[in-house]
Amino acid sequence: MTELSGQGIELVIPPTPEFLQLARAIVGVAAGLGGGASSSLDPGRIADLRLVVSEAVTNAIEAQGEIGVSDRILVCCRVADDHVVVEVVDHGPGFDPDSVPDLPDVETPERLCHESGLGVALMRRLSDEAVVESGPGGTTVRLTIRPS
Amino acid sequence: MQFHVHRRDLSWTTSDVDPTGVVLTVLGDLDMAGAPNLRQAVVAEVANGFRLVVLELTAVDFIDSVGLGVVVGALRRLRSHGGDLLVVCAEPRIRGVFESCDLDRVFDLHIDVETALSKRLAA
Repeated sequence: MTELSGQGIELVIPPTPEFLQLARAIVGVAAGLGGGASSSLDPGRIADLRLVVSEAVTNAIEAQGEIGVSDRILVCCRVADDHVVVEVVDHGPGFDPDSVPDLPDVETPERLCHESGLGVALMRRLSDEAVVESGPGGTTVRLTIRPS
Repeated sequence: MQFHVHRRDLSWTTSDVDPTGVVLTVLGDLDMAGAPNLRQAVVAEVANGFRLVVLELTAVDFIDSVGLGVVVGALRRLRSHGGDLLVVCAEPRIRGVFESCDLDRVFDLHIDVETALSKRLAA
């Protein structure tokens, strides 16, 4: 399921929620080990990395579930001296990240009507770079985390 | 290199505060795998007549946007029944996720159950 190659890991998981925890754990361990030396990311940034990976894999699982695609989801983690890059690749229907609507202000009653819609915002807020490449054949999310 | 990953399923215990109040002490990860179970737990407690639910999240190892969504939904459900939800969260990492989504403006994140209940009584 996992392949360690140089300073990177490729993880291929079924598109089911039970594998989220595994994806987070493996990416967290890889980032904690660093690029051959001690990790440049402190525990707080590794926690951020685990969170944004969870968001990306969750979106991938949901996307494939929308159209009933059971293809596996690819999670690639590359660890460099001064940053970690994670790519999550799915085979869902694709989406326009700029079309994700803003949620109502948190201090309005309408906000409580929205239980979802925070994932993309969290990825953008906690990553140093979040790139979404999406089309009819699927979506690749590339997340870069640097030391704080 | 070998390492072991032990999957932790979400679990919780309940303890009554009074005839209409209950504490749900949650353990594990509040994500797409575990959070739906917590949603069902809150639905069940409301159906059982509880109108005050204290979510004790101090032993939660991880929360993401799906978990936050379930907490938001729990508050909406309780308020729609004339009740309220209190959130206890002492772990800075978990509190930080609430803060990243500005949800600390929706929930007072209490340091322990006693403090949450005493502040509610004083309000």
